[in-house]
Amino acid sequence: MLDVIEPIVFGLLSLMILGSGLGVVLSGRITTSALLMAFTFLNMAGMFVLLGAETIAAFQILIYVGAITVLILYGVMFTPQAPRAYGLFFQKQTPAGAVLAALAALPVMAVGFAFRDSGTLPPRGGDLRPLATSVFTDFAFPFEVASVLLLAAMVGAIVLVKRDR
Amino acid sequence: MAPGPFGIDPLIWAALRLIIAVALAIGLIMGGSLLLIYLERKIQAVMQDRIGPYHVGPFGLLQTFADALKLIAKEDLRASQTDAAFFIAAPALVFSPMLASLVVLPFAPPIVGADLNIGLLYLTTLGSMGVLGIVIAGWASNNKYSLMGGLRSAGQLISYEVPQILSLVTAVLVIGSLSMVKITESQPGPITNFFVIPLAFVTYFIAALAETNRTPFDLPEAESELVAGYLTEYSGMRWGTMLALTEYGNVTIVCGIMSAVWFGGWNGPGVDTVPILGLIWFTLKTYAFILVFMWVRATLPRLRIDQLMSFCWKILIPTTLLDLSATAVLLIAFPGTLVPVAIANWILLGAFVVGLPMLQQRRLRHIRERLRARTLGAVAAS
Repeated sequence: MLDVIEPIVFGLLSLMILGSGLGVVLSGRITTSALLMAFTFLNMAGMFVLLGAETIAAFQILIYVGAITVLILYGVMFTPQAPRAYGLFFQKQTPAGAVLAALAALPVMAVGFAFRDSGTLPPRGGDLRPLATSVFTDFAFPFEVASVLLLAAMVGAIVLVKRDR
Repeated sequence: MAPGPFGIDPLIWAALRLIIAVALAIGLIMGGSLLLIYLERKIQAVMQDRIGPYHVGPFGLLQTFADALKLIAKEDLRASQTDAAFFIAAPALVFSPMLASLVVLPFAPPIVGADLNIGLLYLTTLGSMGVLGIVIAGWASNNKYSLMGGLRSAGQLISYEVPQILSLVTAVLVIGSLSMVKITESQPGPITNFFVIPLAFVTYFIAALAETNRTPFDLPEAESELVAGYLTEYSGMRWGTMLALTEYGNVTIVCGIMSAVWFGGWNGPGVDTVPILGLIWFTLKTYAFILVFMWVRATLPRLRIDQLMSFCWKILIPTTLLDLSATAVLLIAFPGTLVPVAIANWILLGAFVVGLPMLQQRRLRHIRERLRARTLGAVAAS
């Protein structure tokens, strides 16, 4: 029974990811784009759940929907809304864009189809422990380096915006 | 897949089960909100030496039903310059994560929607999604006060999420599981997690007050400065969904988390023999916390936005970080026993309770001295 439902859910999720992703790029208003991006992230989380990686799905929503999209919306709302040509933000170079997208899609598709019949999925909902071991044991050093990098970026941003009193 | 009762086909039963569960959840939220609004008014009235609602029905019990009917029957109003799609989407964006949280709440041993092994993470995840709806509501109203109110509320929610999650992480370190059922089952005796990690409970309680927009953190109700925050342009059932249903639903969920994580959830006398009794214990514990929320609302004044933010970032987050690292170190240093963790936590709680007023007094003295110096300087210059 699950074999019937899974492809249907997968199809629905991929349709929504592709549709909202296209909406992010094509919509003429930046708020719509931001909201649709949140929707894309939500559907990506659905994909992770489908793969049995619930923890990653939860972190996807927690970080991307709950924090990053809100941060982007903050950025949008604090930007002065002077009347200006929105063409600067949304370039309408449809043919060139389509060609570039197709070129970028080819290697992705090649990699994607290479995975077609490989490997078996681990049991559902058991990804918490493997995730923890890989982050805090196997890849502890790269993980820490990445956090130091983020910290440096944050300190840099504070220094940049801090004015002399 | 398990076959359904009465010989129903499992495929139909799966869908039917979902519909029944969602209907029950919506009913629970609606009924709970009606009851909680009545309780809120009545308890505040008692505390302020008034009578409260008493005209409609016995003891005024039907007052909130009348209010809800009025809200539902109200005209579906939308100002012409608002952003239609976002304006309509915002209440749903705020309401649906709250509704989805009910899936993992452990009401009683036989009544758990789904025992996810990441239950607590799932709850915090859904809690963080409501922010999006609030920002969108402020933006779509096309009104300066709404936008400012929405951004303020979002900033408040994002900031207080940090101590909230850190307190929960401290609890998870002690318990060793994220599943709500396992968390509840891990504290069968009278010694619940509260006695082991009281400081995490206190910080979570404060953060939860802010997360659910309750006094002393209820900025949308600061009418003198923000009109009604992101709610300004909303009326009728959209307002009802955003404010009444979501606020009281969130209060219920947060109090449910507190009772499950720190006070043993459904555990209580007689649960082992009659499992359904757990529902009563869980409800009693949850409503006890809700009553404390109302007590706080009737007692404390409201904080200003800068005080609110500096309290979170300068006091609450360092405290929770300290608590988290102390708990982690002690758990690794003394495996198999929780006594050192409990001692350290009680000491830290004492320091927090005593140190907070002292810090505040020092700050006030500092501000007064600076003010006096400035006035003296001005006098000397003139």
